[in-house]
Amino acid sequence: MGKVIVITSGKGGVGKTTSTANIGTALALLGKTVVIIDADVGLRNLDVVMGLESRVVFTSMDVIEKKCDLEKALVKDRRVEDLMLLAASQRNRKDDIKPEQMQDICERLKVEYDFVLIDSPAGIEQGFHNAAAGAEEAIIITTPDVSAIRDADRIIGLLQNQDINPISLILNRLSPTLVKKGNMISKNDVLDILNIDLLGIVPEDEGVIASTNRGVPLVHNDGSPGAEAYMRIARRMTGQRVPIPEMREDNFFSNILNWFSRK
Amino acid sequence: MDFKSIFSRKTKSSNIATQRLKLILTQDRFDVSEDSMKKLQFELTEVLAKYFEFTMNSVSMSLKREGNSYVLMADFPYQESSKLR
Repeated sequence: MGKVIVITSGKGGVGKTTSTANIGTALALLGKTVVIIDADVGLRNLDVVMGLESRVVFTSMDVIEKKCDLEKALVKDRRVEDLMLLAASQRNRKDDIKPEQMQDICERLKVEYDFVLIDSPAGIEQGFHNAAAGAEEAIIITTPDVSAIRDADRIIGLLQNQDINPISLILNRLSPTLVKKGNMISKNDVLDILNIDLLGIVPEDEGVIASTNRGVPLVHNDGSPGAEAYMRIARRMTGQRVPIPEMREDNFFSNILNWFSRK
Repeated sequence: MDFKSIFSRKTKSSNIATQRLKLILTQDRFDVSEDSMKKLQFELTEVLAKYFEFTMNSVSMSLKREGNSYVLMADFPYQESSKLR
């Protein structure tokens, strides 16, 4: 029996979809069977970030309306074994789906797959509740800024009320250089404030933009700091003990290395 | 701590952000207004002031998450010279 995990944040634009795409792909690269579900009905994006938009035929709405079987609605990612996408309907609205319907889809999928990852919409309305309905665990994504952390705190409170456990944190877009200068909230301060387990830190990585442009998740390209961070996160999720490394600052030497490794 | 570090600590925006967040989250978690918070803090201080000496403006309060619940943390910096009255 697999795990159903909702990936959420409260605030928009902090990296939920990018994280879902990369963690899903990373878990599949580690040999796990994975389904990633876009729960952002009406504003779907996971298919685009994954580069699978041209192959989406059916959506979760079609499954709910019994227009097609669940298995048939899953889009297979051809770049890696056992990675499937369940897309959201773009024509419907978030309250067209009921929490029980999402729950039912998750229950059926977790029998067949090791991991079911749900990409939640931003906000704390119906769409968020639907995304969390079938989940047993949650991953909170936040960036180190006041508004994202405030929203993350609100979401953690809501998830705890639904008995979702464990709830762990990914700190996204951390810049060690800015932290050192005193212009970014540090990892320790974020953890002190939110007081939940840290699953991983993803450093600011400009490769993310290029990877979204191409529709190829970062983890397909070894060596970038973001890709390595997501691979470590996936390993931790499979139960491996992978320490969280202290982030290195950018310096002249690392900039030259980055310049040479750029594609 | 030299003068420079005191000065720079004051101006670092990350420290300002952290302090602001702690205050915002305490209010969010309590779901009360800043006025009510101040009133609670004032009344608690009044009670404790019957027994201990401390300066009013050094008192701070926050709500900290511990697992599935919250713990009210109140700091009343105790002066060494003060004794239980």
